[in-house]
Amino acid sequence: MAVKFFGQFMVEQGIITSSALLDAINLQDKNNLKLGEMAVTMGLITSADIQRAHNAQMSRDMKLGDLLVEMGFLTLAQLNDIIIRQKNTHLYIGEALVQVGALTSDQLQNHLDAFKADQAKYISNGIELPITTTNNAIWEMTADLTYKMVTRVLDLKFRPGACTPVTVITANFMLAAMDFSGDVEARYLISVSEGLQKAIAKAILHEESVDAEPLEVLEDTVMEFINVVCGNVAAKASQMGVIMNINPPVSLHPPAAGLTIPEGHTALSFPIHIEDGDTLELLLVIKN
Amino acid sequence: MKKVLVVDDSLSVARLLEKIIAESGDFTCVGHARDGAEAIKMNHTENPEIICMDMNMPGMDGLTALRTLSVMDKEVKVVMVTSLGGVGDKFTEALKLGAKNVISKPFEADNVLRILRAL
Repeated sequence: MAVKFFGQFMVEQGIITSSALLDAINLQDKNNLKLGEMAVTMGLITSADIQRAHNAQMSRDMKLGDLLVEMGFLTLAQLNDIIIRQKNTHLYIGEALVQVGALTSDQLQNHLDAFKADQAKYISNGIELPITTTNNAIWEMTADLTYKMVTRVLDLKFRPGACTPVTVITANFMLAAMDFSGDVEARYLISVSEGLQKAIAKAILHEESVDAEPLEVLEDTVMEFINVVCGNVAAKASQMGVIMNINPPVSLHPPAAGLTIPEGHTALSFPIHIEDGDTLELLLVIKN
Repeated sequence: MKKVLVVDDSLSVARLLEKIIAESGDFTCVGHARDGAEAIKMNHTENPEIICMDMNMPGMDGLTALRTLSVMDKEVKVVMVTSLGGVGDKFTEALKLGAKNVISKPFEADNVLRILRAL
């Protein structure tokens, strides 16, 4: 029911053991050379050249390959040759599992088909942001995955409203927030009314009624919902080559005037109109 | 019945896991720790056979606690239950540190019990 990578899917389903997966990952680590290792293996540069480039990287925000070209250790044509060789010799996890004897080639194809079917529900549906941010593709995926989790986890029918930039986060019964760090920096927030908080609690706790639940538990269910969404966003981002770390969620109760967006940040609001007339709001406060 | 310790800072996830465990007929829940440090203490006092532990918790996180448990107690079987299961590096790190499996959130009761029964 979550965003997964193939190896995890196979272990979770009990088709392979975790030790077989680790064997396959170790085989990948030996086979799939990093750019510098490949350049040395191809006899184009020395380990000492790589070390010099790594030292230079400490004060330069550049990819290793670009830096090696700039420092004159490689030509652009040689860099392209290395990248092509990396792609041509890349060992994917499925093939690695076959090579360590965990699967046959026929079994691999069948399980890949099952994996693709399992993950098809998380393929992005083309949301477009109205403005340019640090990484539009990541935030469009984040909104899209939020919509999918509202359906799958909360079982709520809704209509997404238009995304708009905002300068103030309007006060509501409760907000739950999680911070992203890593390749992108942002705060993910969900704003809910009292009624929606209860609807989320019913879905998360799998209970018909939550009227007797203490406020602490009701708030916790909203925080857990965003924890699930943000964890899956981080997983999807890693498939897109972007590192996103998450911190544990917190609950917020803004003053009546709302929360002003700090300088150097862009805030986007995604209203989610629920079938019963209530509105859940997704907010992304993105560092510029 | 096998004894299970639940470790999660979320009250709602702990409640849900405790319910799944209690209704399974095969397992009994011996307690709920809210972070990694409490998990290590409760592993000593409650002596569970299985620990279901979150990764992303305030205070001592799940991977740090897993690292300690792997050294201190070779018998206990740890399964990570996390929304970060789909992040390849986190999943692999958990297995390398000795976790028997990783359950991604959101989870279904059938999946949780199938994984616990296979331990």
